[in-house]
Amino acid sequence: MAEVAAIEARGLKKVYQTHFWERPHTGLDGLDLTVPAGGVYGFVGPNGAGKTTTIKILMGLHGATAGEARFFGRDIRDPAARAVVGFLPERPYFYTHLSARETLRLYGALSGLGGAALDARVGALLARVELARFADVALGKYSKGMLQRVGLCQALLHAPRLLVLDEPMSGLDPLGRALVRDLILEENRRGCTVFFSSHILHDIETLCDRVAVMVGGRLRGEGTVASLVGDAVLRVEITLRLGAGAPAPAGAVVLEGGRARLAVAPEAAEAALAAASAAGHTLIEYTPVRKTLEDVFLDEVERARPVDVRRIGVLS
Amino acid sequence: MTARAIRVLAVNTFREAVRDRVLYSMVFFAGAVLVLSLFASKVTVGDHEKVVRSVGQGAMDLFGCLIAMFLGVSLVWKELERRTVYTILARPLPRWSFIVGKYAGLMLTLAVEVALLLALYTVLMAVQQHVPPPVVFVSAASLLAKLALLTAWATLFSTTSSPVTAAAFTLSVFAIGNLADDIWLFGRQAESEAVQAAARALYWALPNFEIFNLRAHAVHERAIPWERFFTAIAYSAAYSSAVLGLAVVSFEKKDFK
Repeated sequence: MAEVAAIEARGLKKVYQTHFWERPHTGLDGLDLTVPAGGVYGFVGPNGAGKTTTIKILMGLHGATAGEARFFGRDIRDPAARAVVGFLPERPYFYTHLSARETLRLYGALSGLGGAALDARVGALLARVELARFADVALGKYSKGMLQRVGLCQALLHAPRLLVLDEPMSGLDPLGRALVRDLILEENRRGCTVFFSSHILHDIETLCDRVAVMVGGRLRGEGTVASLVGDAVLRVEITLRLGAGAPAPAGAVVLEGGRARLAVAPEAAEAALAAASAAGHTLIEYTPVRKTLEDVFLDEVERARPVDVRRIGVLS
Repeated sequence: MTARAIRVLAVNTFREAVRDRVLYSMVFFAGAVLVLSLFASKVTVGDHEKVVRSVGQGAMDLFGCLIAMFLGVSLVWKELERRTVYTILARPLPRWSFIVGKYAGLMLTLAVEVALLLALYTVLMAVQQHVPPPVVFVSAASLLAKLALLTAWATLFSTTSSPVTAAAFTLSVFAIGNLADDIWLFGRQAESEAVQAAARALYWALPNFEIFNLRAHAVHERAIPWERFFTAIAYSAAYSSAVLGLAVVSFEKKDFK
């Protein structure tokens, strides 16, 4: 029997219309998405791509105009489906009158936890995100980064099978980002499926098994990072030590220390090397540059733009 | 699980209210009015004892309503505006339990506030006059039933509007609800049948807060009007449930920004 997907969405659509006289706006346009259990899944796209809308529908914060979705085979409209899901919104907000410990006790109680086991779990999580010293300080006095850590704790509190994180690294300093990355990997090793959206493509590329690229409310690409970026070489960067009195090759950027850097198409690399050698230059570095997730992302965004907008972009 | 979630949300709402300095100020002010009524009675003509009882009963009623409206009109709106609702509703609980939990927490706050003022009133009466008769406590229970209905309206408006708009709507309902008997009388005296029908419809559709008013019985220490009291309790339970139901329907449809 095939393993049930952590998230399965079919034809998920969201049309916004605040007032009847306003033109409807499609935030999400028939999303089909399958997030396999056990992996780390990245959800990327520019602002307004429909990432947060998707996450809000999944978490029951928005109603879908059409379509359906399931967590581990259970319809998301059933509140019990969320019992195995931990959620961190883009900017987590908490009751400022509560301390971190009180906050986590509240969320634990709402997930059916209690007693000494909950207290122990709260203590361990606060220590893990290095907030143990501030456990009894009211959250009104916390910085944004500290609130993000409390947000992670509340998402992890009930040891979920699925973590849904909306821009978890947003607004964090490098230490905070490293902590989030470590937590994502730790939870994944524990067997938890992680589904997260991010603008930081480097994080997606290093953490995720699979990626979905959203543009304009539609899914534009989906697959493993390797399958999306492919292994084709985009260009070759050649660094040369210039021969005495010999002119730099055409198109090369002359660097300090008598060096020059040249970028050529892969098929022209051999000829460029031969010409450089004949001119008396010495090869220092030869770097084939492959496609990155960022290139895939920018390609998809460009492809999704209307043709007239693309033309204006080229002219300007 | 849902019952537990409602309890947890109610306790949290209560805790938030009691950590709010504005609530302390209002309760303190209500207590001060009760104490000052002892001195006011010295400079008034007539039955001094009744003046003290009348001011005491009035203060409990007025400050109960003020606190219900003050906290109720921002009860749900604040959660939406501060986005605290995101992480709460991501837990495995139905949306309606959030409204019921918040409402229950506010009612718990109001019950404690009325109990505190009633305790102060009882002590003052015991020192100055005599231990208040049971009708005073029945009147306080009736006041709580009134606050339950007023809070339900404030909660409904809080799910749909900002606190300023919700306060305006709640105040309007409160004002009309205190004039319900006059609307009834107006309808009976009208010559036009259409006006009579409109007045009757208005009377039954809008709340009647006068039904909860047992203050005169408490001030004059009359016999407990049990039938009226139980009618008021049943009326509050049915009407509050219906209004809270509307709040739930409105909240269920909401997309959180």
